Amino acid sequence: MQQWIEIVGAEGVRAEDRVAVVAPSNDEQVAAVLQRCSQGLSVTATGGGTKLGWGNAVDANIRLNTSRLSGVREHSWQDLTATVGAGTTWAAMQSELAMHGQRVALDPLFAERATVGGVLSTNDCGLLRMRYGSLRDLVIGMTIVLADGTIARAGGKVVKNVAGYDLPKLITGSFGTLGIITEATFRLHPLQKNTSRFRVRSEDVVPLAELMHALVTSGMSLEAMQFRNEADAFALDVEFAAVPEALAEHQQRLRALAGSLPVQACDHDMYAVRESLFAIEGATVLKLTTLSTKLAALVAGFAQLAASGITASAVADPAGVVMVALIAPAAGLATIVEDLRARLLGIGGSVVVLQRGALPIEVDPWNDAVQLPPALDVMRAIKHEFDPTRLLNPGRFVGGL
Amino acid sequence: MAYIVMDATILAQLKSAVGEHGLVVDRNQVQTYECDGLTNFRTTPAAVVLPRTTAEVQAVVRICAEHAIPFVARGAGTGLSGGALPAEGCIVIGLARMNCVLSVDLENARITVEPGVTNTQVTERVKAAGYFYAPDPSSQTVCTIGGNIAENAGGAHCLKYGFTVTHVLGCEVVLPNGEVRWFGSEHGVVDPPGYDLPGVFIGSEGTLGIATKAVLRIVRRPETVQTLLAAFHTATDAAQTVSDIIAAGMLPAAIEMMDRLSITAAEAAVHARYPMCEALLLVELDGPRAEVDAQIREVRELCSMNNAWEQRLAQTEAERSLVWKGRKAAFAAMGRLASHYIVQDGVIPRTALPMVLAKMQTMSEETGLRIANVFHAGDGNLHPMVLYDASVPGEEDRALILSYDILRLCVDVGGSITGEHGVGREKQCVMSYMFHEPDLATMLRVRHAFDPQNLSNPEKVFPTPRLCGERRHGAYVPHPAEAAGIAEVF
Repeated sequence: MQQWIEIVGAEGVRAEDRVAVVAPSNDEQVAAVLQRCSQGLSVTATGGGTKLGWGNAVDANIRLNTSRLSGVREHSWQDLTATVGAGTTWAAMQSELAMHGQRVALDPLFAERATVGGVLSTNDCGLLRMRYGSLRDLVIGMTIVLADGTIARAGGKVVKNVAGYDLPKLITGSFGTLGIITEATFRLHPLQKNTSRFRVRSEDVVPLAELMHALVTSGMSLEAMQFRNEADAFALDVEFAAVPEALAEHQQRLRALAGSLPVQACDHDMYAVRESLFAIEGATVLKLTTLSTKLAALVAGFAQLAASGITASAVADPAGVVMVALIAPAAGLATIVEDLRARLLGIGGSVVVLQRGALPIEVDPWNDAVQLPPALDVMRAIKHEFDPTRLLNPGRFVGGL
Repeated sequence: MAYIVMDATILAQLKSAVGEHGLVVDRNQVQTYECDGLTNFRTTPAAVVLPRTTAEVQAVVRICAEHAIPFVARGAGTGLSGGALPAEGCIVIGLARMNCVLSVDLENARITVEPGVTNTQVTERVKAAGYFYAPDPSSQTVCTIGGNIAENAGGAHCLKYGFTVTHVLGCEVVLPNGEVRWFGSEHGVVDPPGYDLPGVFIGSEGTLGIATKAVLRIVRRPETVQTLLAAFHTATDAAQTVSDIIAAGMLPAAIEMMDRLSITAAEAAVHARYPMCEALLLVELDGPRAEVDAQIREVRELCSMNNAWEQRLAQTEAERSLVWKGRKAAFAAMGRLASHYIVQDGVIPRTALPMVLAKMQTMSEETGLRIANVFHAGDGNLHPMVLYDASVPGEEDRALILSYDILRLCVDVGGSITGEHGVGREKQCVMSYMFHEPDLATMLRVRHAFDPQNLSNPEKVFPTPRLCGERRHGAYVPHPAEAAGIAEVF
């Protein structure tokens, strides 16, 4: 403990489950901690700890906590950019940006507790990606500390920049295996002033799937949309964001496109649905990716499972992602995951376990035994260059990265 | 520069890799590949190969890897930073013959193409179905998707739609060791598990391998498009209008600005019938009709508030294309005003625009060199063009120094040395002004992971002692001789 106190001070060190939790308060301290670890101590960076269960379990020697690397450090609201410490919670960042009517146009899970660094490391994107792009399209700069203590700044503070390699994209979604993110700069969007929300229900999946496709190609100002199964029907949640004149027109067009399906205006929080899957007691939560044309069939499949007595709540994002919460006996869950993986393999989709629930431990969160990323050798070479002695979150990510 | 003759056994291997018609060694023919759109740097390659398939590209790269021969991939050669400038003794791999659209999947809004397909051809292919390919560099009618991927090409509409990297879901890549891998998803599925290799590969300027196929996202054509021209007495008024539009919460498809010199050149070249003024704004809004109509009214009010003395809304598709033709012809049109010019590509925070423009004006007066400005005002991407006459002794050197000084100015105000043209050979020495040594060393780790032999487009992007001198520690400072204009940087 003493060696950590020397670097970050007594207030930044505590023991948790016999593991040292070290909380540096600046980049130099992060670098010093990592340099001290270079004799073979493995490190997991943690923020709010909301997604530590994602990927393979890592029994690291040190937890590097980012809570003291927090705060919105620069908000150039006229330039629509902001630089934020990695330990800032997503919600705290958003509320500060909202003072100038702006936001990072992304709705990650657990925003009250999840930190900027954790959201970036797991590349957790929500429904807004359909309109604003995913996290990689919104992060324009980053400071990272490498395993050997190198402090590197990548990208910049302007929205358009092709100088050198785009390391922020490489680091986004790398599950803390390449470096510790200490700060990030985002491109911002204005908060929407006028929105309207609707829910369309149907017992039959086909007309609702067709409506979803019609809306995607309609040219209307869609802010977000999701397709999900309910107890005895399918539901499509739609949010428009536009000037009031357009909103009125959009509502009419939505009703016309929906035909005989009932369209209900509602103020239900569609952004909370994804997160609610994780709160279902004992649920296994999976993230599935597929082509957008295959989404409805997947959700319909889960509805069938639900009809057979298994708890299965699925929510699909038109970008091509389905999140599903399942409650079933362990053996049944393993079969479901295996079947899904076999079905999606041929079309390039994937099934990743985010919350294990009753799913047997033998079921790999990434499916490494069957399907490895096609360029895993390149990924390994990058890992080797950035972290040759494998100190950072070793083995957490796909393919043992 | 020395012309390196390739060993006969290697030539024989290359011939068996790409066939007799795929290998170019004739001195005169090879010379046509000596530069790209940045014409003041030239190197004749040792040979040029024109493969037709991924397997042929792979065979060539394997030969290069085995004999440690540098190779440089090339699309249409329209790049403006020397990204396709041959390395000494290298093999140029021209991808223009790999120009097939492989599949179109409208339901999932995807298209799979070979790298030699031009940017415009992608849109042409899906236009009838109501889609378009969003990145639109000014050279889009000739530049290729392979080159767009290498440079992470942007264009006027990336303010709203994003860059090439936003629109590539996956690409097949021949790695510098000759292996072929898919980065991202071959099927166009989002979020494939693993590192974001397309994210780092796209925009790596040919230094990490060669893309041989790409799955692109296509975008639904908006319901309506409105294009407004507004003329201002001062650049400050125009810049304030841009800030006001953004502050009002609008995200136009494009906001472009041109100064008097650029307007003069564009008028002479394509007769776009622009109003002659100090600063011309071109604002394009697209989307649902009801929304665009409401927003264009708001934009017009903001223009008036900031003293626009003339506003013209393009009334027909023909008028709209003419407006864009003038804007996209602006670089080439400079030839009407000066025998030579250097195009730069700095980016600044939008709010620094009036200050940077004023400073550039001072720099122009101090050097006696004219600077024309065309820029993507919405995202702060400047394209200052330094005009000069190469027949005047020393003027080219002074123009070069001025153009690099402008880039340093962009960095000083918190910006970047390049927004879409790439670093290439042209700006590699300015990289150490923008990035510190550890930042560059971290990028080089990626380079080393992909290309330990340093064969794929060597001596680009990163400063090297040979090309930039031993000035890699700390900010770049011009050599006194260089500053005085008596020696050139390269």
